[in-house]
Amino acid sequence: MLHPRHRRRYVCSILAIALCLALIGRVVAQNSSPVENHAGYIPAISGGAGYIHNVDGGITTLEPQINPVLLVPFGSHVLLESRGTFFGFYQRENQTSGPFKGQVFKSVDYAQLNWLANTHVIASAGRYLLPFGLYSERLEPIWIKNLQDAPITAAIGTRTSGSGNGFMLRGTVVQKPSYSVQYTAYFSALSNIDHLQSARVAGGDASVYLSHARLEIGTSYQRFLQDRHINSGAVYVSWQPPSVPLDIKAEADFSYNGRGYWLESAYLFQQLPVPSFFRRTQIVGRMQQFFPSNGGGNSLPRVDTQRFDAGLNYYVRDDLRFISSYGRSFSSQGNANIWNVGFTYRFLFPLWPGRSK
Amino acid sequence: MRRFALCAFFLIILSSLAFATAALKNGPAPAGRDQSATSRTTQPSGEEVFKQNCGRCHTPPMSISPRITGTVIMHMRTRARLSRQDELLLLKYMAP
Repeated sequence: MLHPRHRRRYVCSILAIALCLALIGRVVAQNSSPVENHAGYIPAISGGAGYIHNVDGGITTLEPQINPVLLVPFGSHVLLESRGTFFGFYQRENQTSGPFKGQVFKSVDYAQLNWLANTHVIASAGRYLLPFGLYSERLEPIWIKNLQDAPITAAIGTRTSGSGNGFMLRGTVVQKPSYSVQYTAYFSALSNIDHLQSARVAGGDASVYLSHARLEIGTSYQRFLQDRHINSGAVYVSWQPPSVPLDIKAEADFSYNGRGYWLESAYLFQQLPVPSFFRRTQIVGRMQQFFPSNGGGNSLPRVDTQRFDAGLNYYVRDDLRFISSYGRSFSSQGNANIWNVGFTYRFLFPLWPGRSK
Repeated sequence: MRRFALCAFFLIILSSLAFATAALKNGPAPAGRDQSATSRTTQPSGEEVFKQNCGRCHTPPMSISPRITGTVIMHMRTRARLSRQDELLLLKYMAP
């Protein structure tokens, strides 16, 4: 039992310490607070839209599409994000003659809740894009990809719908001024729900990014855990030289159904001594080969296939461009010419009025 | 025809590199490029983080409304697996 005088001194000491801690906490909070900027965190709508006129082996397809992305933040560490796809597919009634007929396919590509815990951990739950190789998660949006047709090997590691339902962890393992190492690990459960299909798979991805050279080297692995259990793998390289508007990407994939690779190069005329009008022009080239195993299938060719594509894109603005490309596919089932002409548009705006900080 | 296609592809690659080399010889690098060279051993600036990371996948946007900058960078941090440090530098650069 404390003496009343001592008790008073004790209480005063406790209050003084609490006051000091509160002041220190306030100072630390001010120093470490990200409020050194005026960034706002209000919901946003983003995404891409476009129209592609495709002619593949003489068969014309009209492909309008829109992919809205909804972003709803809860504070600065939790984000709900979702992307839907509305993809129109119209062909002539008899493929080469008659009126155009078709339908609009709808799907939910991802609808996930992300907790951005810290540098090392970003935890996601819900429906997410399967992170396999370079293409599915990063280059697939219509306004990003340099050539509108997906590589042949894009079907590897993305069965059955390109999306997974489950959990995912990702983040930066280590970050230094000259390099960083990133990882992703995920598990997806089987789902047969309409528009939300997914397979039972587990996998991961790891990459090293050399920031001064702007060179990224990565690898992906996936284990398909239903029906026939198979392994799929990929290695990829992405390089954007700092002093040249050149974009080189390459990926090699293998799975039970076959193996293949693609190599793509894109160059923007940004630095060329030509009139400014032409500096928004981009030329693209891509070559790819695929060799089936065990009969191929699962959205992969059943015979050896090679394909070459050349594209010419024009950026009217950073968010609007006209695209065109020519490709030729070679296989024992027949060679074919593939033409694409159209435009893509990226949109991004706040969901409702609000002020920045 | 196959040989022609392969030749055409390599022609595009070679002409890309030739154009790139010509551009390097003919014109100075755009503003901002020199900054990346000065801080090779120090912490990068927000501008460097922006240039290093956004262009890995897509053409960087010219501008983003400050009202949604935080939201968009959270989205990109998830997609590109950016660090918290990169996020803060980007926020400071894009919505100072």
